[in-house]
Amino acid sequence: MEKTASRINDDLLRPVLETSPRFYLAVVLVGLVAALGFVAWGYQIWNGIGVAGISRPVFWGFYITNFVFWIGISHAGTLISAILRLANAGWRRPVTRCAEAITVFALMIGAMFPLIHLGRPWLAFWLFPYPNERGLWPNFRSPLLWDFFAINTYLLGSFLFLLLPMLPDFALVRDRARGWRQRVYGWLALGWEGTPRQWHRLETAMHIMAVLIIPVAVSVHSIVSFDFAMSPVPMWHSTIFAPYFVAGAIFSGLAALILAMALLRKLLHLEEYLRTEHFSNLGKLLLVMSLLWFYFIFAERLTVWYGNDPAEMAVFRATQSGPYAPLFWVMVFCNFLLPVPLLTIPRLRTIASTVVAALGVVVGMWLERFLIIVPALAHKFLPYSWGTYAPTWVEITITVATFAGMVLLYMLFAKLVPVISVWEWKVGRHPLAEQRAEISPAVAKTVAPEGSA
Amino acid sequence: MSRRWGMVVDLDRCTGCEACVVACRAENNVPTVGETEAARGRAIHWIRIERYWEGEFPNARIRFVPVLCQHCEAAPCEPVCPTYASYHTADGLNAQVYNRCIGTRYCANACPYTVRFFNFFHPVWEKPLHLQLNPEVSVREVGVMEKCTFCVQRIKAAELQAKAEARELRDGDVQPACAQACPADALLFGDLNDPDSRVAQLARSPRGSKLLEEVGTQPKITYLARLSWSGDGEDR
Amino acid sequence: MDRRDFIKLSALTAGAAGLAGCGHPDHQLIRFLPEESWIPGVATWRPSLCPLCAAGCGVMARVMEGDAEVVRNGRTGLLRMGLVKKLEGNPAHPVNRGKLCARGQAAVQIVYHPDRIRQPLKRRGERGTGEFEPVDWDEALSTLAARLKQVLDDDPAGLAWLSRPLRGGKRVLVERFLATLAAPAPVYFELFDESVLRWANRLSFGREQMPTYTLSVANYVLGLSADFLGTWNSPVAQAIGYGEFRQGRPGRRGKFVQVEPRVSQTGANADEWIPIRPGTEGALALGLAHVLLNEARRPTTAAGTAGERIEGWLQGLPEWTPEAVAEQTGIEAERIRRLARELIAHEPAVVIAGGAALAQTNGLATALAVNALNALLGCVGALGPVRFTPQPESTGLAPPHRTLRALVQKILSRPESPVKLLLLYEANPVFATPPAWQVAAALDRVPFVVSFGSFLDDTSILADLVLPDHVFLESWMDDVPESGTEPAVVSLAAPAMRPLHNTRAMPDVLLDLSRRVGGRLNEALPWKSYEELLRARFDALARRAGADADAFWKQALERGGWWSDNGGTRAAAPRHAAATTRQIRYQPAEMDGSVEEFPFHFLPYASQAFYDGTTAHLPWLQELPDVLTTAMWGSWVELNPQTAERLGIRQGDLVDVTSRHGTLQAPVILSTGIAPDVVAMPVGQGHRAFTRYASRRGANPISVLAPLEEPETGALAWAATRVQIRRAGVGRLVLFSGGLSRFPHPEER
Ligand SMILES: Nc1nc2c(c(=O)[nH]1)N[C@H]1C(S)=C(S)[C@@H](COP(=O)(O)OP(=O)(O)OC[C@H]3O[C@@H](n4cnc5c(=O)[nH]c(N)nc54)[C@H](O)[C@@H]3O)O[C@H]1N2
Ligand code: SF4
Ligand code: SF4
Ligand code: SF4
Ligand code: SF4
Ligand code: SF4
Repeated sequence: MEKTASRINDDLLRPVLETSPRFYLAVVLVGLVAALGFVAWGYQIWNGIGVAGISRPVFWGFYITNFVFWIGISHAGTLISAILRLANAGWRRPVTRCAEAITVFALMIGAMFPLIHLGRPWLAFWLFPYPNERGLWPNFRSPLLWDFFAINTYLLGSFLFLLLPMLPDFALVRDRARGWRQRVYGWLALGWEGTPRQWHRLETAMHIMAVLIIPVAVSVHSIVSFDFAMSPVPMWHSTIFAPYFVAGAIFSGLAALILAMALLRKLLHLEEYLRTEHFSNLGKLLLVMSLLWFYFIFAERLTVWYGNDPAEMAVFRATQSGPYAPLFWVMVFCNFLLPVPLLTIPRLRTIASTVVAALGVVVGMWLERFLIIVPALAHKFLPYSWGTYAPTWVEITITVATFAGMVLLYMLFAKLVPVISVWEWKVGRHPLAEQRAEISPAVAKTVAPEGSA
Repeated sequence: MSRRWGMVVDLDRCTGCEACVVACRAENNVPTVGETEAARGRAIHWIRIERYWEGEFPNARIRFVPVLCQHCEAAPCEPVCPTYASYHTADGLNAQVYNRCIGTRYCANACPYTVRFFNFFHPVWEKPLHLQLNPEVSVREVGVMEKCTFCVQRIKAAELQAKAEARELRDGDVQPACAQACPADALLFGDLNDPDSRVAQLARSPRGSKLLEEVGTQPKITYLARLSWSGDGEDR
Repeated sequence: MDRRDFIKLSALTAGAAGLAGCGHPDHQLIRFLPEESWIPGVATWRPSLCPLCAAGCGVMARVMEGDAEVVRNGRTGLLRMGLVKKLEGNPAHPVNRGKLCARGQAAVQIVYHPDRIRQPLKRRGERGTGEFEPVDWDEALSTLAARLKQVLDDDPAGLAWLSRPLRGGKRVLVERFLATLAAPAPVYFELFDESVLRWANRLSFGREQMPTYTLSVANYVLGLSADFLGTWNSPVAQAIGYGEFRQGRPGRRGKFVQVEPRVSQTGANADEWIPIRPGTEGALALGLAHVLLNEARRPTTAAGTAGERIEGWLQGLPEWTPEAVAEQTGIEAERIRRLARELIAHEPAVVIAGGAALAQTNGLATALAVNALNALLGCVGALGPVRFTPQPESTGLAPPHRTLRALVQKILSRPESPVKLLLLYEANPVFATPPAWQVAAALDRVPFVVSFGSFLDDTSILADLVLPDHVFLESWMDDVPESGTEPAVVSLAAPAMRPLHNTRAMPDVLLDLSRRVGGRLNEALPWKSYEELLRARFDALARRAGADADAFWKQALERGGWWSDNGGTRAAAPRHAAATTRQIRYQPAEMDGSVEEFPFHFLPYASQAFYDGTTAHLPWLQELPDVLTTAMWGSWVELNPQTAERLGIRQGDLVDVTSRHGTLQAPVILSTGIAPDVVAMPVGQGHRAFTRYASRRGANPISVLAPLEEPETGALAWAATRVQIRRAGVGRLVLFSGGLSRFPHPEER
């Protein structure tokens, strides 16, 4: 069924303009869980980082796992949407904004973990390069500093990347809303009028951003991998880590995107916008990434096993057949054995099964981060100092809370901004979609033949 | 010529008596963490005697290996520290500036010897145990990494003393607490840059090797191998 | 007290020396570094003595200025004073030559222990509940003086003294105090008291004392269950010698073989470690002697008196063929022959037996056999590795374990205890004796118990009156080390710091008491203070050395004592005539409990951190990882992995260890260094009361021991109990090493 522009506007703007009590209830509930995370963090700051389960020799645990995980998730958005934009994949249109929002929120959450995990978080600003009269600069050789720059660059870039294409939609809401909304969205729209000059600039900016953001995204997770690879820890000190981490990041990001889209589709009744083809296409991408992931982990494990270095073999055994083996094999199942058949066999590749596969991948990729960090630290070179790790309620609460926080941010986002780019959607279904002159939704709104069609 | 402090650990002398362990604790205000925290792997011992078993009963054989910070020339704990809290001094020490540490614990992961210890909570000295604290060594607060300093306060004191007496520092002027305590004289400290110092001489011993040399950390502690007896009473 | 008071008081105390001395006659006599000569941040070094074991190591205490919060006359204030910050070995002291063991390093915590008794206490609640109330010294001392007078008027035999074995001035003082009052001789008790070896040395060599092992001259050391590098005899001196023995002589590295049922810290260092059936160490010694006498054709007379003591020695020990010995000990005959050949091929060789080897019913025979073997090897004497430190005075003590049992029996013999007043000083027999000895029951029946202890422990908690002593760094200290040194030594130290609390030195309290009681005591104990007593003793030494008394005293105070090379002469060492010419027949050790019902041999051992339990209250030592097991803050039972597997027990499981005399529970640590039919357990934990750090922590192996004894000395055969073990659940181990035991060993896990 052909949709009219006004139906589209109604469908896509409804969540922004109307709010049901159920939404408020959900926000309160999710918000409470997220707030618990802050309570736990406060408790940890007050009593000392020791209330978490980390100990010698496993000095990093859930927090850094979450850090890597969320930074990984952030690769869903900007990277995917940038690639799809550059490749001009038409089916991307309802997907890009969902994806870009994931990036920004996942980055915000991920970037909190290096602060949460500090022993003295009140001095966290010493990590930042700020001018001071003592001439004290942070250590630019430390990968943690690289993280600081990489993540901040990525966050800024992603934020712009998300914001730019929202301007026309903000204008749309401005024009339809009344009262305070009108004022707020008017301000957010930054004076968007939909003039050709503005369209031209937006298009150019989007292009430049898309080109720039890809290397930034790749560098971010490479640098996150350097947090590990730069330390002589058995099975961390590996040249394969950067591409391995980037692939894993895109993998987990895709999965998160699929989950987010499925939820939005259900909750915001966007069945007609987020269609099987979108899930199918993302599913195929997920399959590719699953195979790539398997290739990387196989390559990593094979060389360790073949090299048979005693220190590395201790970690290898602990993960493959030792105390961490159950987690390891669950991970392999979630990341490979589950998604591959579901996504390969066309008959199985439904929306539901794609969602199941994505859910598996999110779990599996969280485990992967955990299994990179903990078994290696627990089995460093001198067996005398081997140890174990178990999280406490503090780490678990904070971890759960960040998931709630993600959901909360996403809910609020979907409430404040049309999660599907209205103008892009319209452009996509316009017969002259690729001709810029005609694609102004503002124009479409006012002059397009919606009434007459 | 600048100094390069180093140590020799003679595994053939070490008896596993752990006098060094308590001596270091007493000298350096190393906190006790109590049973609960110790059970969670949070006990702090800047020097420890690792023991390894070889063989099964009745052919069990044990090795003791005192392990402390190796003050690596290429210390993996240093470049990773974002605040320069872990850094290299001109005389070759791997120094830890407690005040600058923000507790990322990155250095502890990077250290292949696992000799860095973290204050998971604020350390407690139940009164009046605090009266024993060595005023020359700062007490570390919660969230701060700590480790063997080669008893830097003793090095500084000896250097000042030598300066006050207008003379050069002599071999043996500096004795870290662990070496001073060691009954079997298994630990020997000194300047590796002085070819005539006892430590430099022993470091050249054919029995010498470095712990985890293959990791490339260039440790400044030389371990002299424990010998086994060849039956004729000669070294082997 | 409000803040203003506090400030005033602080101001008052910071300048004046007076406060600390309030009511303390001894303080006027103590010469501290005057306050104005303290330089903040600059350390001074003062000699002292380690009080923690019979080795008697010399200490140098690092003293720096600090502010201590003190309570005097019910008021709290800050006192600027010299505080001991660190202990080092006294480099000049001949026993330990600048070194200390782990316990000696930790001893400084005794001073600042938060649960130290800070003023005299009198019992308030029921006995044993630990409820006390503070009293002032005058009241406490007059109570005691009144009691004492009453007992003396009644029957002086109603007075009893119980302490660890004393030496030097304290022994003179206490023994003279009691003798003058016509009270019974003091009862000395210590779990690991080594009276068996002392007695054996008297029989073999005419010296009732512990030997000094000069390992630096040995080429071969054969240890028999003696933890001589850890806790036994003079461990610091022996460890110094061991370092030399291994690497101190270019081109010459001694061989060390250790024979014992469980790898000890000492055994861990051996080139060859040989497990032996418990209690058969003497048989091995005789087997080795047999080979030397018969195959190596050493003359039987070469062992002198030491040989003559052994039945069959002069005939060449015909029964003790390696084959027969292999049967008993579990060590192959060929290996015994090889060991014997190595002993003579690498002279000077020395055999060291101690610890569990002598804590058997046949301990004396074992010690005599080893003595004879050493004599045969020619290693006893001025040039060999086995030497006897010249003793300036008699070291012989009535056998401690036997005298304690006699005291207990005396108390329990009648419905009303004949002992009316018990003075208790630095002994914890309630903790350190087997239940069958009934020490607790006996002490509980004594109407009035006075403790001089600094801490409430299992025994002193029974006290009615506690008169806390200064701790060692606050006291005049002296000692006469029995072994570990070649020259004769009389150690001496002035207090290294002012007393932190409202305590008084035990010897001064005795002197004060004698003044209060008056009469004969005043003449017998003419000294106004313990310092004076020590000065008198040193004046006598000076006369013997022909030195100027003042200079002699001053030099001893500076150095931490007198030793013969520094005084110019060696003290005369009295030789005892052997008490008997009887020959001793080696008999197999008797074990308590049948093999069928109690299949395991139970081996308690002196722990690295706590020795016999006296240092369990020090947090540094609680958190010291035992070097073999890496365990902290608790006790454990060591089990062979094969045995454990057979019984379905895993590391960390809780087990019931049951003997005929009791049951204890402890978690299991697996160790490949222990024989499959032996379970071992460190002594030191399991105190019912001993400060916040050690109370009710872990289990006490002594609580299941049988009351077997070595018949001639009455010494407790603490290694002669058999037990059964049963899994009782999951226990809790605090281990420092979370890793497995093998050096980079990829096959693990
Ligand atoms: N009223 C009054 N004023 C005084 C004085 C006085 O006695 N009374 N004394 C004067 C004297 S002598 C001095 S020296 C000055 C001292 O004055 P400041 O130099 O201001 O010293 P602080 O207040 O000790 O702390 C400086 C800051 O440095 C931070 N810091 C610590 N370590 C690091 C690090 O590694 N990196 C970074 N970036 N920051 C760090 C601390 O958290 C703190 O916030 O004050 C002077 N002013
Ligand atoms: S041993 Fe560890 S802590 Fe010490 S310098 Fe080397 S890497 Fe750093
Ligand atoms: S824990 Fe402290 S010393 Fe170690 S890397 Fe972090 S800031 Fe540096
Ligand atoms: S050198 Fe000093 S700080 Fe290092 S282990 Fe020895 S005593 Fe401790
Ligand atoms: S003090 Fe010396 S002999 Fe004792 S454990 Fe330490 S290094 Fe070894
Ligand atoms: S051996 Fe240890 S406990 Fe005994 S006196 Fe010497 S330092 Fe003290």
